Amino acid sequence: MASFVTEVLASSGKLEKEDLSCKISKLSRKVEDTKEEVCEMINKKYNDFLPSLQGSEELMLQVDEVSKEMDVLTNCIETEVQQNVHVAVAEYAKLKQQLEKNTVIITMLGHLKEFHSAMEESNKALQDKKYVVAANQLQRAKATVDSLKSWKTSQLPLLSALSSELTMQRENLIYHLGDEWKRLVIWRLPSSKEPADLKSFLKVELNLSHSCSKDQEPGPPAVLCSVLQALAIQGDLQHKIKLFSQVLLKNMLKPLVMFPSLSVRVTEQQEKGTVLALQSLEESQEERSTPSQLIWEEISRCIIHECLLYSIPNNSSQLDKYSTVIKETEEFEKSLKEMEYLQGDSTDLLKYSQDVNCHFARKKCKDVIVAARKLMTSEMHNTVKITPDYKLRLPKLPAPASEQKVKQGSRKDEVTMENSKQLSAWSLCLPACRISESVQQLMELALNTLCEENLLKFPHLAAIQHNNCMYLAHHLLTLGHHFRAHLPPLISEGVSTFVDMCFLAQMHVQRAELLERLSTAHNFCNLDDEDNYIAANKAVRQVIHQLKQLGTVWQDVLPVGIYCKAMGNLLNTAITEVIAKIMMLEEGPLVFIPLAEENKNRKYQEEVPLYVRKWSTFKELVIVLRANLQEIVDRWADGKGPLAVEFSSSEVKNLIRALFQNTERRAVALTKIK
Amino acid sequence: MDDDVITTLKLLIIGESGVGKSSLLLRFTEDTFDPDQAATIGVDFKVKTLSIDGNKAKLAIWDTAGQERFRTLTPSYYRGAQGVILVYDVTKRETFTRLENWLNELETYTTRNEIVKMLVGNKIDRDDPEVDRNEGLKFARKHSMLFIEASAKTKDGVQCAFEELVEKILQTPGLWESENQGQKVRLGDQEHDGGRACGGYCSIP
Repeated sequence: MASFVTEVLASSGKLEKEDLSCKISKLSRKVEDTKEEVCEMINKKYNDFLPSLQGSEELMLQVDEVSKEMDVLTNCIETEVQQNVHVAVAEYAKLKQQLEKNTVIITMLGHLKEFHSAMEESNKALQDKKYVVAANQLQRAKATVDSLKSWKTSQLPLLSALSSELTMQRENLIYHLGDEWKRLVIWRLPSSKEPADLKSFLKVELNLSHSCSKDQEPGPPAVLCSVLQALAIQGDLQHKIKLFSQVLLKNMLKPLVMFPSLSVRVTEQQEKGTVLALQSLEESQEERSTPSQLIWEEISRCIIHECLLYSIPNNSSQLDKYSTVIKETEEFEKSLKEMEYLQGDSTDLLKYSQDVNCHFARKKCKDVIVAARKLMTSEMHNTVKITPDYKLRLPKLPAPASEQKVKQGSRKDEVTMENSKQLSAWSLCLPACRISESVQQLMELALNTLCEENLLKFPHLAAIQHNNCMYLAHHLLTLGHHFRAHLPPLISEGVSTFVDMCFLAQMHVQRAELLERLSTAHNFCNLDDEDNYIAANKAVRQVIHQLKQLGTVWQDVLPVGIYCKAMGNLLNTAITEVIAKIMMLEEGPLVFIPLAEENKNRKYQEEVPLYVRKWSTFKELVIVLRANLQEIVDRWADGKGPLAVEFSSSEVKNLIRALFQNTERRAVALTKIK
Repeated sequence: MDDDVITTLKLLIIGESGVGKSSLLLRFTEDTFDPDQAATIGVDFKVKTLSIDGNKAKLAIWDTAGQERFRTLTPSYYRGAQGVILVYDVTKRETFTRLENWLNELETYTTRNEIVKMLVGNKIDRDDPEVDRNEGLKFARKHSMLFIEASAKTKDGVQCAFEELVEKILQTPGLWESENQGQKVRLGDQEHDGGRACGGYCSIP
């Protein structure tokens, strides 16, 4: 048995041993492998590491070098190159300036040369009687002077010399042209002493002369043409034609119209030229040459302005009678056409007179505007009182024609408009206040214009009138908004309408004044000192005085509500300021007699607490300033009294400290304020 | 003397113009009567110390104007009030019918839910009453109010009115013990931060 056990034990041990040696050999192999691997890795890392390190070091050196070069370059650029650039820029700028100057001078010289040559040509042409050429040259010269003028850098003496030379030449030319005209167009008129009747007008003769030559073409003479053209170029033609046409009108056309037996006879006379003379109908009508269309425009305008304009009626009654004028104008135009004086389609005169309604309205508007302007610029202080039962004097509106028939039938049962649900007569009533007389008149004027019969007939005009009123109202309401941004902040919060703006601006001024007066009071401190006391006293008195004055001025003028609000606001400002100053006082005895006990206006005494926000605060403060310690404590009532509503505990404590000396009693009282 | 005062109570007197609020107050605080008492402008204020069951209470009494146009000033008066006396004139029916309006206003502005209300029918010294006692009592019961009839002129019932009111307040838990209890929470309605320090201080027990 023992051997079996030992055998087993031996064999097991051997197995174990074998097992172990196997494992160990495996392990050692593994260790060897690992050793190899580690060795390899380390080699790789450190062998390879060195070259790469060197490589990066070299790179770094290179980078350093490059950055140094960059720095050098930058410096170089900044210093040298930029400088050069600046210098070059300056140089170029100078050169540019020089060039510009030269250009300007050259242009100027060019203009001067132009002027000179133009003037010379003009002179020459005038002497050769080539009027058109002369006129054109003068225009050229004028153009150059104008362009010279447009450069503001011009020297004045030179320009004025050029201008005066130009003017002289022009006048010269016109004078010559006038001479020519006189030679060409000769009137023979009856003397002013003779009565303006048929016989005298028979003497009237218009002579359009021209130098005769055999191969003269029919039509207006060349000289006349050139004269007219030259005048046109110089801008003087209108004037001449106007004068001519006036004379023509007075002495030829009007009599032609007035005396139907007259007519025009045109003859060609060798030396004299074309003659237009008035003759009575017995003599035959010759063919006539008509003055050019250009003149007709002038004449019609003349007729319109001189005759027809004055015929526009001033008021509506004459408007009816105007139809006769229209008729006469029509006749006149017809007769002109019959005389082949006028082309068939020209109806200027007739059109004008038929537009009489337009002209009438325009005239009326002008009158009204003049009246309105006068009102607006009249003084504002003539006032008239508006009471709630004031009614604007409405002129009676004429009943439209269609309604009148109906009314006649139903006279008996005129239904009144009232029913129980209507607004009371007091709604929308303006409160009692004062307005300027001129405003009242303006309102009445507007209403009268509205109610004029004629305006009612013209829906167009009525609509415009409506728009006018809306426009005014709109701007009065909204101007305040437009200006909001420009107003000081205190005002801009309340402003919404134009009306507000005016009044609130005044309020602002008043408020500023109050605050200024109070600022002179040396903050109400150390009123023991006599000077300070006097200053404080004075300041408060001034404030009271100012408020009293304002009150008197505004009392009757503003409506009650606004008056109370405005005065309340100002009073509030004043006492807020006083309260603030008093609250800032520190330790020390204080002798203060509140002067502002007076109410600013007895009449509205009760309204004061309603309109003056700080009034209760002020009243409490006055009470405190006059009270003893116990009264103050009672008024505080552990935070349940009115003093506690207006002031904080610290404020009250400060006041107590300022008013009372530092005693035991004071300390006790202070503990009760919490 | 002030040491045994356990609390200060805020009381309001409200009612139509001319019912006798100022007279009641005058009678209570100074034991006098002025037949020509002028209409109150804004508010009047008086302080009086009262003893109830051995407890001393200081009363801060606000006498408000009854006129319509001063109504805008009242909201601040209601703040923190613990008791309110509603007054009507027994000889003028209208002052009684308008009590509803006053109750509405009270409801709107009061900051304490358990505020004690007392209805007082004044001027019983006159012999032409238009509102009898039962009516007044009925109204008071309907709105959970105390009720008494009085005359400032003869001083009848005046002292009683105030005493009863104060007694009831002192008996109402949470109404007077500390500042913070019994207050409705109101966020951001301090339009004038008058007397209130921050509510965080310790109340002395």
